[in-house]
Amino acid sequence: MNALASEIVRDTSAVSAADLAKGGHFSGTIGDITTPDPRMVCREVNVWYGDKHAIKDVSLDIGNHQVVAMIGPSGCGKSTFLRCLNRMNDTIDGCRVRGSITLDGREIYDKGLDPVPLRAQVGMVFQKPNPFPKSIFENVAYGARIHGLTNSKAELDALVETSLRKAGLWNEVKDRLDQPGTGLSGGQQQRLCIARTIAVSPEVILMDEPCSALDPIATAIIEELIDELREHYSIAIVTHSMQQAARVSQRTAYFHLGDLVEVGETTQVFTNPRHKLTEDYITGRFG
Amino acid sequence: MAAAPSGGSPQGGAKTLGHPHRVRAYDEELTRLRGLIMEMGERTVEQIQGAVSALLGPDASPAYRVLDREPQIDFLALDADEEVFRLIARRQPTAVDLRIVLALARIAAEAERAADKAARIASHALEFRADDTRLPPPIQDALRALDEVICCAFERGVAAVSRFDIDLAVAVFEDEAEMRSAAGTLHQTLIAPAAAPLPALKLAPLVIVAHTLEHVGKHACAIAEQVIYVAEGKDVRFRNREILVETLRHRGS
Repeated sequence: MNALASEIVRDTSAVSAADLAKGGHFSGTIGDITTPDPRMVCREVNVWYGDKHAIKDVSLDIGNHQVVAMIGPSGCGKSTFLRCLNRMNDTIDGCRVRGSITLDGREIYDKGLDPVPLRAQVGMVFQKPNPFPKSIFENVAYGARIHGLTNSKAELDALVETSLRKAGLWNEVKDRLDQPGTGLSGGQQQRLCIARTIAVSPEVILMDEPCSALDPIATAIIEELIDELREHYSIAIVTHSMQQAARVSQRTAYFHLGDLVEVGETTQVFTNPRHKLTEDYITGRFG
Repeated sequence: MAAAPSGGSPQGGAKTLGHPHRVRAYDEELTRLRGLIMEMGERTVEQIQGAVSALLGPDASPAYRVLDREPQIDFLALDADEEVFRLIARRQPTAVDLRIVLALARIAAEAERAADKAARIASHALEFRADDTRLPPPIQDALRALDEVICCAFERGVAAVSRFDIDLAVAVFEDEAEMRSAAGTLHQTLIAPAAAPLPALKLAPLVIVAHTLEHVGKHACAIAEQVIYVAEGKDVRFRNREILVETLRHRGS
């Protein structure tokens, strides 16, 4: 049986997924890559893993107080691009990054720039919650301590409380701060990791599928938290859940085989995408 | 920057959008929903033709069939509603799929209302023919002409749904002028001396029938608007029709 939508009178000039897979030429990103108030500005970013060209001329702004969702099929380069934003790819042998990425106007790939403080400014939350094998308090205090962000025990206590409050976890753990972080539930562990990221005063938070290991309730709590965090931080999130991208983000970027195919307001991308590849992907027609 | 848009359409002819869904059941559910709406549309056309034939034909018996069959279209509308709920709950459609589901739900409502109007015409036909009164020939001609243009537009609208064909939808908009003209002619005929043999009490149901048929034409246009919504991704309700038709005619050029 033919797909109903496949019978619609449409433009067939659009490049297809099969064309691109065979090495067909991609004509460029559709949509506005810029935002009026950018925190990070990425221009013509290219990434190679050895000979493999993983990211191709991707340009995108990460806006202030905005959540940008990066979606696309596995292997499309969205996580690779995310990891470029705080130089996490530096740790991978054979990985080369070209192009320009600035944070508040400063090039983050400057040779003189120390990536350690950068990773505090641009924090990251991973797919699987990864608390340190330490107490809840120490998990949050650790980063602040090594970055020298506090001058006294009282300041550190206040920072830990503030961070846990911002992560929506304080009320659940305030009476057991000395207990191991690994003893928390999966959702609580992920919020602990978010609190740990917040504690070092980041400007941008990167999230790589932060809810993929969580149940729907824990996912809803994290999504609510993302919306609250947006008031203070810029957020870039990689997700395989179309519904999550639609729920939490203001802008959505669709990646395909290393290309940034389309970027736009999330509502527009999910109701009326402009590129056929985007539409095929978000409607589950990819093939 | 060169674009390879997902919306828009080439001039004429049906083309394909792309691949079927990875989940075959999704396609089957969408196709089932469309099937229900197509069936509603086709039955509605039959109902209108039947209702009008009760006024034009030798007897009023088609009106009884129309009234008997009216609940079947209501049941189809309920089935379509249920299918829409199920699709939204299970598939959480996005982009063109979301537009298809929303549009089909609205089209189902339009078809159901048009079918209600067919039943209303049938009721007025029975009222008119209660004493075996026949329509004077000039009124017969004007009513037949209006019925033909309205049914033709509605059929075009339903056919446009089958492939979300913009050209057919535009043709429905283009029929509007003819619908207005045919309705005007019928109204003029009803107040002309040719209708003089009919007393006012007999004219009243005919005036209502004329208005009701005009409204069926508006449902056809509303269906065409939904076809444009799906195919072009633009909500064209309440737009200036002339500008819209002109824009759609020259799309892609």
